[in-house]
Order: sequence, then structure tokens, then C-alpha cells
Amino acid sequence: MLLTIILGIILIVLGLWGMLSQKNIIKIIIGFSIMDTGIHLLILSIGYIKDRTAPIMNQAVQSAGQVIDPVPSALVLTAIVIGLAITALMLTYAVKLYEIKGSLEISDFKELKW
Amino acid sequence: MVSPIYIFIIALGIGFLLSLFDKAGRAVAMTIFYGALLAMAFISGQWLLHLLQGAEAEIITTAGFQPPFSINLKMGLLEAFFTFLINTLGFLAGIYLLPKFKSQKIYGMILFLMLIMGLNGLVMTGDMFNLFVFLEITSIATVSIIAIEKNLKSISAGFKYVIAGGIASAFYLIATIFLYRFTGVLNIAMMAETLNVASSQAVFLSVFILMIAVIVELKPFPANGWALDAYEAVDSGVVAVIASGTSAAMLFVFYKISPLLNNTLLLTAAGIGLATFTFSNLLALKQKNAKRLLGYSSIGQIGLIITAYALLVRAGYARNSEIVMLTTGGLFINHFLAKAGLFWLSGVVEKEKLEEWSTLRNNPILLFAFAVFVIALVGLPPFPGFFAKWQLVMTFANQGLFFWIGLILLGSFLEAIYLFRWLGKVLKSDLKAELKAKISQIFPILIYLLAILIGGGYLSRLINQGTSLSILYLPVLFIVFLFFIDFLPVAIKNTLVILVGSYYTYLIIPQLSGYRVMLGVIFLAGGVLLFIPGYFKRGKRTGFYPLAVMMYVGLAGLLISENTLQFFTSWELMTLGSYFLIIRGKKSEPHALSYMLFSIGGAFVMLFGFGILYYVNGNSMALSSLGNIESMAGIIYALLGIAFLTKMASIGLHIWLPGAYGEAEADVSPMLSAILSKAGMFGLLMLMAAIQTANLGSINLPYVLGWLGAITVFIGNLLAIYQEDAKRLLAYSSVGNLGYILFGLALMSHMGWLTSITYALNHFLFKALLFLAIGGVVYRVKTKNMYEMGGLIKKMPLSFVSVLIGIIALSGVPPLSGFAGKWLTYNAVLEKGWYLQGVIVIIGGLIAFLYCFRLIYAVFLGQLKDKHRQVKEAPVWFLIPQVILIGAIMLFSTYPAFILGPVGKMLNDILPENALIWENLDAYSIYGHWNGFLIMMITGGIFVIVFLWLYFLNRKAQKVKQFNIVYAAERPSRPELTHVGYNFFAHYKKALGSLSQPYVTKFWNTMADIFHSSAGFIRRIYTGDGQTYILHIIIFIVVVYFLTIGG
Repeated sequence: MLLTIILGIILIVLGLWGMLSQKNIIKIIIGFSIMDTGIHLLILSIGYIKDRTAPIMNQAVQSAGQVIDPVPSALVLTAIVIGLAITALMLTYAVKLYEIKGSLEISDFKELKW
Repeated sequence: MVSPIYIFIIALGIGFLLSLFDKAGRAVAMTIFYGALLAMAFISGQWLLHLLQGAEAEIITTAGFQPPFSINLKMGLLEAFFTFLINTLGFLAGIYLLPKFKSQKIYGMILFLMLIMGLNGLVMTGDMFNLFVFLEITSIATVSIIAIEKNLKSISAGFKYVIAGGIASAFYLIATIFLYRFTGVLNIAMMAETLNVASSQAVFLSVFILMIAVIVELKPFPANGWALDAYEAVDSGVVAVIASGTSAAMLFVFYKISPLLNNTLLLTAAGIGLATFTFSNLLALKQKNAKRLLGYSSIGQIGLIITAYALLVRAGYARNSEIVMLTTGGLFINHFLAKAGLFWLSGVVEKEKLEEWSTLRNNPILLFAFAVFVIALVGLPPFPGFFAKWQLVMTFANQGLFFWIGLILLGSFLEAIYLFRWLGKVLKSDLKAELKAKISQIFPILIYLLAILIGGGYLSRLINQGTSLSILYLPVLFIVFLFFIDFLPVAIKNTLVILVGSYYTYLIIPQLSGYRVMLGVIFLAGGVLLFIPGYFKRGKRTGFYPLAVMMYVGLAGLLISENTLQFFTSWELMTLGSYFLIIRGKKSEPHALSYMLFSIGGAFVMLFGFGILYYVNGNSMALSSLGNIESMAGIIYALLGIAFLTKMASIGLHIWLPGAYGEAEADVSPMLSAILSKAGMFGLLMLMAAIQTANLGSINLPYVLGWLGAITVFIGNLLAIYQEDAKRLLAYSSVGNLGYILFGLALMSHMGWLTSITYALNHFLFKALLFLAIGGVVYRVKTKNMYEMGGLIKKMPLSFVSVLIGIIALSGVPPLSGFAGKWLTYNAVLEKGWYLQGVIVIIGGLIAFLYCFRLIYAVFLGQLKDKHRQVKEAPVWFLIPQVILIGAIMLFSTYPAFILGPVGKMLNDILPENALIWENLDAYSIYGHWNGFLIMMITGGIFVIVFLWLYFLNRKAQKVKQFNIVYAAERPSRPELTHVGYNFFAHYKKALGSLSQPYVTKFWNTMADIFHSSAGFIRRIYTGDGQTYILHIIIFIVVVYFLTIGG
């Protein structure tokens, strides 16, 4: 599905743009999430085949020819879980950074450089 | 046989249950934790052994399906090797972190198990998406461990790390799904079979993104600021796993996806690697923080490995061929062990600044480990990196990849600069703090120390071509033995070295032929002689004997080398040994560094030359092929020549010498000047012998060398006259003397070479004598400044006689052997017709009188200083070799025929024109004749007459007390001005004006400034802002893409 592919790519670019333009660490993490969502949409779109149904075997589905490619759907589940874990980890870091320095500006954390 | 799947089962199962076990007590949990790590290491080790014996690789598939319908985990030979490395690292790093695990919450251990499991997965999985999962497991585990340490630096570095890793894996995921779209499979091997990268833009872009995502994980320049911050801030035990373990797994991932890459992409990867290697090492020059420095070095090394691998595969070598394994594998193992070891050391030292690592001196074993790891990283023998780099350069040369070799050597040189600067600081900076090393920290370091030594020994089999093993390895074993008995007092070790050295000399000399015999005598017999003064030292003299012997082993190795690798290894061993001798001096640190950098620079130039030789002569490593080079001979000879000239300290490359010789210990200076410098001469002799037979085309190398030699004589001697420091004076004099040797060789005639060898022997005799005598004086009066001496003739009469004999031999006046050199020089110059150069050399010889005279006048004559009234004669151990040397000089002067005759015969093989004819004691050339015996008799006769006359006159003379003099209305403003010898030749300096300016020093200083300031400028891209680092990654990907499709 071309439309969702394009939408996915737009979300990816949007997310990246957010990560690059926002100074607030929470907003950067949100940017990352948006990018992740874009990728998930992209994966799903790639597995989609027009006029076919979900890859769940039941009475309605008699042969493999009736369903979409199940692999990307399976992959996206894993990817979502991993994305969740990474986002949670980032947020943990945001909390810790705030605890230590009382700031969420990314440019306030430049102790290490050069 | 335990199935490899148990690696994962153990890690996951124990990881899951560990917090339960913790309820039963931390001891229980820890026992199980270490048991799990050990079991994982055991499983992979067992598979490694099994597969090494030729067993089939094990492939585990999920749920009984075959790929592509299942995920497959493979345990092949390479997988077993990598997982074994990772799991043993895991176990050792676990031990290193033991105190932390003991005191912190249980999560640290759980996450650590997950991290090690993730790395195993990265290595074993054959599935694209599964790889992504393991990538994320590794990343999450790593970043979570980082978060346990609750300090600001660690946390902010961890955040940058997770963001950058997140972006890299996002790109990886996008590429994976598109590749699935194009091939219909996720199995990497199957994907590689069906995929045609060039089939469409979209496929190419997908593979590109996949590759670049993996490369971003490998920290390419400049998209690696996040990694540098992590290396600097993260706890030492953890960062060792990141630097070695994670890098290992990611390199293996790159290896796995490489079948997908076409030649264009391989070239891109190689380019990125090379840029990373060069720039990381450049930027590290400005680094003062030890862990960040190690970070730069790690990133650089990984870049080098990528370059080596990508280019070799691109050149058509199979991915798992022996050459690829030898080069990239050797570089990798070297980096893996050394970097983990150094990061572990950083946790022991617990100091940020480079010079504060001097606390390591409190623990000789850890200091030894540090030195070994640093030297291994630089790529010096006998460590794996040396042999791997050698093989890499040869293989690249074989493919004609000279541009790449050049930049790799440049990068390696930059790395050598900062690593040796660091080593020097550690060895010489003030000791300020105590060192508290826990046994849990020392144990892993020692294991890796042992491993890197074994690795080097294993790879050294490359050397073994045609030469009997015992000659190459027994001396090295002796060095190792000396390290073990280093706790013994000096007297025992010195005696042992002299005895073994004598026996070794007796073994080696008969095996040599031609001019090598002469050098063998200087290197080995001379070496043994110059160990005698060593008895004057008390205590243990820690580290002196193994390293001094290493220098001599290197020197002897040069003489018996049959191929270029043996020669190069010996050359580097000699350099390394001598570096450690030089740095022993009190103020030697900067000079030893400068010596090392010139030497390593020279060695890399030599390596380049040998590379071209290998390419031109059809993959031959034989040294004898130097004489029949088909093409590019001029370049090869020039490169080798430059390398040899650095050791001979020819003008332009001489600035290391005065400090190195001048600041070295009393008995080391003579070794350096009299013996070590002849290594360069030996190289040149070998080179010139080859040039003699080779067709050089339009390049007249000897002519250039001739001028260089003449100028070196002139400048070296000129600079010597301005010195106030007696040892530096002798050092500059050595520069001039070596210039004579070079000049003689460049003449390319029988007479010229005879001159040169005569001069070399002479220089060995008189410079050893002078350095020993002056060294003895300096040892007694505790200063090297001549204006602080004076009137020592009555206190140290024997030293006075030595110096007198030494300068007579040096200045080349009859009757001593120097005159033979002079006479031969004139003959050779006339024969060749190099009149202008000849005049310069002769003027240089006249200048030598000026400084020779100062050694006698300023040191031994004039007024005795008050504080020197109690000074005694130099130690007897200094005087014994002096007596022997004086005897040798007298013998050589009186009967030159006994030595010059055989030397002439040795040269007949190379330069057949027997220009000097001996009739009994008379030497005839076409220009005249000379009889050393007669001259000795005549001069001796005159001396005796004048002496007797003075003796009789003196009986009437009135004795004058020291202070029976009057200053003639002078009012000295500074203490040194009371000495007439101070600044004695100031008027010459004025008269010569710009000729006396230190242009060469300025030139090299400017070069150093350029490198350092550009490093300081470029490294500002690492702003420390996490967002900038994201931007770097994005820009990096875009720029590399356009470079790839554009180029």
C-alpha cells in the first residue's frame, strides 16, 4: 500500500526532525517514538497484499493465498515490544538526568566533550 | 557435547531466577552467576576445540523447521572462536566487577548476563531480524548497566549512547524490511544468494542503509561522539566489555552481512574505516583524559580492522581465507586483549590524567602489563598486531594498494605518538599516590597479558622461513628468563648477561660472512665489553637487563636475517629495547619520545619500502631480492635509505640524538653511540651493496647521500663546538662522525667503503672510550656542564689519559687510528672526484679539533672547583673497558693491516677493485702510501723525546698554588663566567650567523604544531551535545551515500 508506505516515511522523517530540532529531552524521546511508529507502519505496509485478509487461520481462511504476508506482522509485534523497552529506558534516563541536574535541556549535559 | 543453545538457556534461565537465588543470600546468587558465566565460556570453548579438530558446524533451528521458515543459530569455527572470546571476557570482566556486584543490587548481575547473552546471539544468529533483536537486547542491557552508576557523567553518556544506538537500529530495521521485500527471506545466507545489489536503486539503497547501520554501531568518524563519551564516563569494568566484547560481536555482524555488499559498498566501508582510523588517531593527540584516549584508540583500531577486511574481500580473498584471518584476525585479537586490559587498568589506577598513571610504578607487574598493552597497540613485536600489520601491508602491496598503506602507516604513526608519550609519562612522571589494586582486578589483566604474549608467539611463526628456529627464539627466551629473574641484584645479572652474551657472540660470528663479520664484532663483542661498566650500579636496576639484551638480540638478528620480515622484526626489537634504555636517564622522557618517534616513523617508511619490494619482486620476502629489483627500485631504495638514516641521525633526522645520547645513563650512552648507531650503517651497507648491482635509471641516490653525509659532517661538528654539556658535545660529535660513515658509503668505491668501515670501527673504539671516560667524570662530579668542571686532571688522571687518547683518535691526527680514516678518505675523495664535498668534509674535520680541545681544556685543565676537592677517580668498572679500548686503538693504529686487509677482502665480493694494496705494513694507493707502524714509531719517538726534555726542565720550575693568580680587572656577572671555557666559541656563532640557527628543530616543531592544532580544531565537532551527535549520524549517512553513488 503506497499510501501507508509514504505515511510511514513521513512519520520517520518527522520523528527524526523532532529529535534534531527539539531541545527538551522528553520531546526528543517523543520524536524517537514517532520515528519508531513510522517504521512499524512501514513494516506492516510492506507485508500488505491488496484484497487479502489477516493471517489468522480459521474457517474463513482456507488457503495461504487468501491472507497477507504474515512475516512482517510477526516482526512488527517484536519491534513494537522492543521499541517500548527502548522508549522506557530513555524515559528512565530522562528522569535520572532531571534528578541529578534539575534540567531537561539536552544542551545542559555537555560535561563530556572533545 | 553440550549444545550451543544452552548458552542462551543458561543465560536466560539464570538471569530470570537470579533475584530468587538472591533471597537465599548474595553468596548463593554470586556462585550461581559465576557458574553460569563459566558454563557459557566452557560450552563455546568445548565447541572451539571440537571444531578445530575438524568437526561439522552445528546449526540450531527453531521449532524443527528449516530456514527460511525458521531462525537459525550457527556454531561454526569462527562463531565458536568469537563466542569463546566473548564468554571468557564475560567471565573475566565479571570477576573484575566482583566488588561492585557484591555491594550493588542484584540487577547488575542480571543485566550483565543479558549483555553477554546478547553478544553471543549477535555472533551466532543467521537471521536478519533475529540479529536486530539481539542488537536491541545488547543495547538495552548495556545502557541499563551504565545507568546503575549514579553519576552525572555516566548517566548523560548513557543517554547519548541509547539515542545513537536507537537511531542505528532504526535504520537497520528499515533496511531489513526492505531486503525482506526484495528477497522474500530473512536468512542472511539465503538473502546473499538471491540478492543482486546492482539490480535497482532501491535494492542498493537498502543494502547501503543496512551496512551503514552496522557501521554506525562500530563508531565511524565523525558519527562517534556518543561512543567517546561513553568510553570516558562509563565504569572501567563495563567499558572493557563494550570496547572489546561489543566491538567483537559487531565486527562479526559486519563479517556476516558482508556477502551482501558489492565492491562499491566494500570500498565505501574501507574508506569509512580508514578515515576513522586516521582521524581518531589524529584527534587523540590532544587528549589528556586516559579513558577518552583509549576510546579514540579503540575507535581507530576498529576502523583499521574494517578497512583491512573490506579491502581484502574486495580484492577477491575469500571471507574466511587464511590471509584475511591472519591480518584482520591478528589486528582484532591484538585490539581485543590490549584494550580490555588497558580499560581494566584504568579502573585500578582510578586517575583521569595520563601522567597520573605513573602510580602504576608501585606495582611492577601492572606496569609491565601496561607497557605490553601499549606496545602491542602501536604494533611492535613480538605482539600479534605487529605480525598482522606486516601481513596486511604485504598483502595490500601485493594488490598495489599503496595509497591505503600510506594512510594506514600515517594513522599508526599518529597512534604511536600519543601512546608512547603516555608510556613515557607513566615511566617518568612524579609518583604522587599509592596504588590499591584488588586481586579481582589484577587477575583478569594478567590473563590477558598472558594471552597477548601467547598470541604474539603464535603469529611469530610467520617469521620462520629458512632460518633455524633456535637462533631466532632462544635469545627471546633468554629475554623472558631475564624478566623472571629481575629481582636478583645487578652483579649476578650482569655476570650472567656477559657470559651468555660471550657465548652467543661465539656462536653467531662464525656464521657471518663478508662485512657482516665486522659489524658482528662491533654489535656483539662490543656489546659484551660495554656491559662491564654495569657492575658500578647497586641494587636491582629493574628492567635494565631484559631490555638491553633485547636491543642486542635485535642487532644480532639484523645480521642473520634472511627475509624482510626477520629484518624488520629485528629492527623493531632493537628499537624497542633501545627506547627503554634511553628513557632510563633522569631527564630522558622527551628525548626518548623523540627517538622513538623518529625510529617508528623510519620503521614505517621501511615497511612501506619492503611492501613495494614484495609487490615488485613477485611476493618474495627474501632480502637477497633487494639486489635485483625489476622496477621502482629508486623508490624502494630511497624509502629504505630514509629508514636507515634515521638511526644514523643524518642531518634533518638528527634532532633526537643529542638529547637521547646526552641524557642517557653513564653506561648506556656508549652503547647507543658506539654500537646502536651502527645498525643504520649496517642497513645502508646492505642497501648500497644492492644498489651496486641494481639498475637505478636516472636516480643517483649515492650522489644525494654523499652530499647528505658531507653536510652532516659539517653541521654535526659545528653544533658540537657550541655545547656546554660534555655528553651533548659527544652526541653532536657522533652526528658528525656518522656523517663520515655515510659519506664513505656513498662514494660507492672499494676505497670509500674501506674508509667507511675503518671509520665505523674507529668510531666504535673512540666514542665508547670517550663516553665511558666522560660518563665516569660526570658520575663523580654530578654535573654535565663543562664550565662547572675544570682542573680534574690531578683527581682523575686515568680518565684524562682516556679522553686524550680518545680525542687524538677522533680528530684524526697521527699516530692513532683516526689518521687511517682521514688518509683513506682523502684517497677515496680524490679517486671519486667529489672535490667540493671533500672540502666540506675536511673543513668539518678541522672543526672537530675545536670541540676535542674543549674536552681536555674545560674538563681536566684550568682551575679545580672547590666542591671537587674530594672527587675520586672514576669507578674501576668504567676504567677496565677503557683500558681494553685504548689497547685496541693502539693495536689498530700500529698494525692497521691486520684489520684493513681482511676488510678489503670482504669487500672484494661487492666492489672488486682492490684499490688498496698491502705490502707488509705499508698500504699503497695510487696517490701515495702510508705505514701505520712507522708513524706510530716516529710520533712515539718524538713524544718520548719531548716528554723527557720537559721532565728535566720541570725540575727547575717553581710550583704555583691554585689561587696564585689575579683576575685582570674582570668582574664576572654570573658564576659560569668564571670559567674561561664557558661559551668558548661564541664568536664563531656570531660570525656564522644564520648557519648556526636550529632550522631542523624548528621544522619538526612546526610539523608537530600543525598536527596538534589541527587535532585541537577538528575535535571541537564533539560538542558534547547529544543532539549534535544525532545530527552527525544523519549527516554522515547522507554524505557517505552521495560519496558512494558519486564515486
